[in-house]
Amino acid sequence: MRRFGALLAALLLAGSLTACGGAAAQEMQTAQVFAMDTVMGLQATGGETAEALAAAEDEIYRLDEELSRTREDSAVSQLNRAEAGTSVEVGAELYDLIARALAFSQATDGAFDITLAPVSSAWGFTEDAYRVPAQEELAGLLAHVGSEHVHLDGASAVSLDQGTQIDLGAIAKGYASDAVAAIYQEHGITHGIVDLGGNTWVCGGNLKGEPWRIGVQDPARAGEAEAYTGILRMGDGFAVTSGGYQRYFEENGKTYHHIIDPATGHPAESGLTSVTVVADGTVGNGTMCDALSTALFVMGEERALDFWRSGVYDFDLILVTEDGRLLVTDGIADRFQPDETAGYAYEVIS
Amino acid sequence: MRMKSSPKLRPNGWDGLAAAVVLVLAVACAALVWTGGGQSGPLTAVVSADGETVDQVVLADLTEPEERTYTANGCTLRVTFGPGSAQVTASDCPTQDCVHTGKITRGGQSIVCLPARIVIQLEGGPAADSGVDLVIG
Amino acid sequence: MKLTTRQLTLCAVLTAMALALSYLENFFPLSLAIPIPGIKLGLANIVTLFALYALGPGQALLILMARCLLGAVFAGNMNALIFSVLGGVTAMAVMIGLSRLKGLSVYGVSVGGAAAHNCGQVAAAVLTLGSTAPLYYLPVLLGVSLFTGALTGLIAACLFRALAHTKLWGA
Repeated sequence: MRRFGALLAALLLAGSLTACGGAAAQEMQTAQVFAMDTVMGLQATGGETAEALAAAEDEIYRLDEELSRTREDSAVSQLNRAEAGTSVEVGAELYDLIARALAFSQATDGAFDITLAPVSSAWGFTEDAYRVPAQEELAGLLAHVGSEHVHLDGASAVSLDQGTQIDLGAIAKGYASDAVAAIYQEHGITHGIVDLGGNTWVCGGNLKGEPWRIGVQDPARAGEAEAYTGILRMGDGFAVTSGGYQRYFEENGKTYHHIIDPATGHPAESGLTSVTVVADGTVGNGTMCDALSTALFVMGEERALDFWRSGVYDFDLILVTEDGRLLVTDGIADRFQPDETAGYAYEVIS
Repeated sequence: MRMKSSPKLRPNGWDGLAAAVVLVLAVACAALVWTGGGQSGPLTAVVSADGETVDQVVLADLTEPEERTYTANGCTLRVTFGPGSAQVTASDCPTQDCVHTGKITRGGQSIVCLPARIVIQLEGGPAADSGVDLVIG
Repeated sequence: MKLTTRQLTLCAVLTAMALALSYLENFFPLSLAIPIPGIKLGLANIVTLFALYALGPGQALLILMARCLLGAVFAGNMNALIFSVLGGVTAMAVMIGLSRLKGLSVYGVSVGGAAAHNCGQVAAAVLTLGSTAPLYYLPVLLGVSLFTGALTGLIAACLFRALAHTKLWGA
């Protein structure tokens, strides 16, 4: 009996030691990262929080260096600098990302295009030196635009045609959000927000046990705080918004925004002012959401909704149109609360 | 066994009472410390550069506007703090986004200057009506 | 205080045991990850509790102080000293008081001690940080001390039962 008592005490001791690990007071830890031309906010709790945030930060900086077109030593710059037609070993990661980008181009009939770089440079969006290029200049550049000018060679090499340059800017933040989501999962983060400048991934809901509340910026009131088209409730998932209001310049009374239509070389005039793509939190969907938000903005309401209905990819949409309508697809309609004060005509699409 | 004093080894009602006292203390303490719900102290502007906090201004304590300048990464921002508001009034950064953001007045709002890597964030004060955790777009 | 050789030896053994238990707790430095007192099991309180009944308040306090001092020296972290001393002494004071109450069993005394230990640690944190922020955690810590206190009480009760028939204390 005495031995039993001692054994019991020892077992309790051991058990309680392991139990106390989970009893830590819960509070979100945050980190701020300046990368990819934006400010990124990371929040996390549970698991190895500090390690996860540090690893996420390192990973974002690494990807920024790898994927940037403006850094001379990046893998992307090396590919762009190489002589036309020569195969450049880019490594498995960049190869896979380019392959996925080409697949998105194909699926969206070229509305998403990573070869637009020279065109967006001509508009000055890459260098922050805005101007309206002449039509002949654009026509010359557009000849080298298109996914058919990018060739995947072997298992890890890529070559570009004469005059073609790639820019992964429209997909890099989404890819980074996938990478950070994977890091959060590896480190056992229970509640987290990854906000990479409009590319967001959330997990676990908030500390009150409710879904996260995500405000979708009203494009008509772009500069204003707390001006939402509505609020999306989401426990786990990706959400990415693309809108012309995010970056633009004005010249002679006309506004030119940064989302270029590969078909015209001009800022897309599709009748949409904002496109939000929402998908479940599976790693990989971040890249998809980022690519599709740009592509569907270019495609416009009708083509975007046809694409959604085709079911090629599994996602939902929040669209804001120039003529004041707010369209939400039925997969998330029960989780979306439109803000009446924004004054949009609300429609659920099925 | 000859101890100085021998303890009772089975829990009884008095122990329950002791536990109840601790529980009441915990609840009373919680009521005292956690009151206010959304309110977490007075409205405060926290200024950070490169992620490090460089300044804190309790806006609730201000009676008249106060101007301060912050320099980081080669850019200088002139920030006007008022009773319950903060605004970047001038900046020599190339983008001027921070100036365009205008006045922020509620907890959770922030002004970001990317070239300077300066963030001015409001904390505390009454909780925002919408209660949004993050904003996209 | 004059100690017999037997008492001195017992004190030394109990101090060593308390140190070992504190060391075990260091594998879960919840309170050190963030500069805020986190949740501790207070395993060393078993020894304090035991010494209090077996040897009396004087020697129990002696063991406590030796444990705190040696623990800080071994850890090479003198900053932790104020935490363990304030927590330990508060717990000790409360447990001495509670152990005089005839109605309470070892469980009640232990819960009171655990709660007091957490209060002492939060007080130490408030003092060292110069901020009242740690107070925010006190309700949680108090709630958890119900659990940890009952647990250490249970272990102590098991110990008393197991040692009741030994001649360890006999003259």
